[in-house]
Amino acid sequence: MNIHRRMMLGAGAGLGLLGLAGGAMSLRARADELTVDDVLHDPDGPVLGNAEGDVTIVEYFDYQCPFCKRNHPTLTDVVAEDGNIRLVMKDWPIFGAPSVHASQLVLGATGMGEYHKANSALMATEAKLSNEQIDKVLGDAGIDVAAAQDAYRADRDKWDGFLARNAAQAAQLGLRGTPAFIIGRTIYPGALDAATLRGAISQAREAS
Amino acid sequence: MMTRLFPIFRAGLLACLALVGLLAAAQAASQPLQPEDAFALNVTPSDDGSQTLSWQIADGYYLYRGKFVAETADGAAIPLDLPRGERHDDPYFGPEEIFRDDVAATLPAQNGPVTLTWQGCQQDGICYAPQMARLGTDGTVTRLSAGGEPSPEGAANAFSQADDAAWSPGGETQDSGPARGDLTLAQDDGLIEGLALRGGNALVILGFLGFGLLLAFTPCVLPMVPIVVGMLAGQGEPLTARRGLVLTGAYVLAMASAFGALGVVAAWSGANLQVALQSPWAIGVVAILFVALALSMFGLYELQMPSTLQRRLGQVAGRRGSVAGAAGLGFTSALIVGPCVTAPLAGALIYIAQTGDVLLGAVALFALGLGQGLPLLAVGAFGPRILPRSGIWMQRVKQAFGVIFLGFAVWLAGRVLPGPAMLALWAALLVATGVFLGALDRLDSGSPFRVRLSAALGMMLAFTGMVQGVGAALGADDPLRPLAPLASRNGPVSEAADLSFARVTTSDELDQALASAEGKPALVYVTADWCVTCRSIERGPLSDPTVNAALEDLAPIKIDVSDFNAEAQALMGRLAAAGPPTMVFLNAARSEASGSRLIGEVGSEDMLASIGKVRQ
Repeated sequence: MNIHRRMMLGAGAGLGLLGLAGGAMSLRARADELTVDDVLHDPDGPVLGNAEGDVTIVEYFDYQCPFCKRNHPTLTDVVAEDGNIRLVMKDWPIFGAPSVHASQLVLGATGMGEYHKANSALMATEAKLSNEQIDKVLGDAGIDVAAAQDAYRADRDKWDGFLARNAAQAAQLGLRGTPAFIIGRTIYPGALDAATLRGAISQAREAS
Repeated sequence: MMTRLFPIFRAGLLACLALVGLLAAAQAASQPLQPEDAFALNVTPSDDGSQTLSWQIADGYYLYRGKFVAETADGAAIPLDLPRGERHDDPYFGPEEIFRDDVAATLPAQNGPVTLTWQGCQQDGICYAPQMARLGTDGTVTRLSAGGEPSPEGAANAFSQADDAAWSPGGETQDSGPARGDLTLAQDDGLIEGLALRGGNALVILGFLGFGLLLAFTPCVLPMVPIVVGMLAGQGEPLTARRGLVLTGAYVLAMASAFGALGVVAAWSGANLQVALQSPWAIGVVAILFVALALSMFGLYELQMPSTLQRRLGQVAGRRGSVAGAAGLGFTSALIVGPCVTAPLAGALIYIAQTGDVLLGAVALFALGLGQGLPLLAVGAFGPRILPRSGIWMQRVKQAFGVIFLGFAVWLAGRVLPGPAMLALWAALLVATGVFLGALDRLDSGSPFRVRLSAALGMMLAFTGMVQGVGAALGADDPLRPLAPLASRNGPVSEAADLSFARVTTSDELDQALASAEGKPALVYVTADWCVTCRSIERGPLSDPTVNAALEDLAPIKIDVSDFNAEAQALMGRLAAAGPPTMVFLNAARSEASGSRLIGEVGSEDMLASIGKVRQ
């Protein structure tokens, strides 16, 4: 009888441990997949609007993409008017080297507390940019370009990881280009007018 | 009646509105054309060997003149005689030329394949990521994806020439379309499929069954078993084995079902809180909760339902001796949880809430109830003699739960704590458990078997704990490989991993590497210095001799995206790779084997399976 009891206890404990191991495995496997959280709450992603907002808008954009920039005032106006939106700007440079250069400088400026200023300055340009033009626009806006460059280099791992994740997410989500918006849980490719934006926001709010 | 119906009606109305909203959203989302429809490329060969490239541009779309690039396989630019485009004035930085409707250019005769790149936008809508295609000397066109979706049409004519080096991403990235659309990528497997696919879940269910059985041997459950059987049987009636089994069976099934329902509720609420539950803050709180539950199991305090509630539920029981009565009793008994069961049940429910998996929750908790009911079934069938005698050992069972909960807390905390800190916690837990099992107690020649066994087990745990402690001091971050920092410092492991990989950082180098391995399948491994998972792959499956042997038939190519420049991005785009680590397995015809792609952490078996798919 004693042997019996011990065997039962042993078997029970063994099964329990197996279960924990199994649980650990299944949770770990999940961690490798793209999650909603990865898209909406990237820890390194600069946030505009209300950081505590109840609806998140993610924009994948490029500093040389004309419609991203033309659409930007509409977007920021709607975000400001709503007052309860987290606007997450994800650089996805698809227009070549100057776009990457622009993203690097603006991300570098983030560490100096000047993300908003740098981002707004570049978003106010029209379309095509060269590296020199980018430096000039940022300089005119009062950003120390050399310091921003250094800040980017100092945090290179973090920012390159952020850019890599953005491109990876764009591929995984099947985004075709910029701008692309994620509002709540819905993907909206292309520029959006104010009415569509407001509609998308209220839908996201209802769904959450 | 109306007032009662109104909320239902309102809910239905809301659901309809939500559906309409979703449909409208889907409509808006489908507005921009697929890049290959927006800009359709046609290639017409001429007699003199030159080729006419023409792009049909959809209405309301345009291509940038400055974004056309033609390159030979070794990266030399080929001039294209593009016509002048429409001036697209940019008041700030000067003019840019664009093409609407269509554009054509002549490509002079070439000796080898040519890569074409073009880029354009939908007016006032979206600017597409650069589009690429590979042109064979015989006029075959293979679209290469860049940034956007992998393009399917090239697959059909991609394999016309061996030196074409043309290949297309496998089909499975294509198939995941709907999953991308609604962004619930991680969770939207079909539930049953999901359960079957994630092998770990079978273990979870088995584990919960084991836990249930262990629960049955805690001091407030085991002594109750004969009493419960007596209640089920009713007074004075002799109980046959068959009748006993039926009655206890009904009781146990009902109890397990009630647990299952609790599991569903927990998982469902967890699923709705999934994003919140992944925050370091929430993980910390849950870990502390488990510590609190563990302390309760060690007897520091008791967690119990209010006794009035227990009494009321106790009165619900039906007629004694009937199957329905037994089932009723079983169902309510699941809700009257005694002091030993409260903490483990809470722990189980928190675990299930963390997974957010409703079916898993139902099945696992059902298994827990079943496990807890097993001794009852045994007593029903064979009478109370089958049970072990009560004693102090039942307290040990309770304490075992405490240790398991502490372990669970450490495991949870490990997801937010730095690796060495987690190893240090494991060290503390294991050493302390070992000491309590008697690792350091003095044994003499008269020590009974039981004490020696316990001391031996304690020694093992304490030793494992010490190794974890050493690992923590070495800065290791994998509790399963605490001494890995030592091994990688002077072992041959990492060298072996690097040995045969051709390192590639540009698209052209990739083409060359693939061309030089003509006729051989290839493994294209996207990695980076800053990719932590890549390190564990290199120490793990890539150092496995079996995997290395299987890889001998393949050309291993390593795409290093450590320096994340435009070229690296283009490479990842071509592979439709999500980022490092990604392994793409190409067969000899340079087509990706369906279902072979490996993303994220992989094991040796995964690699062997994928290698098998491209090796013919």
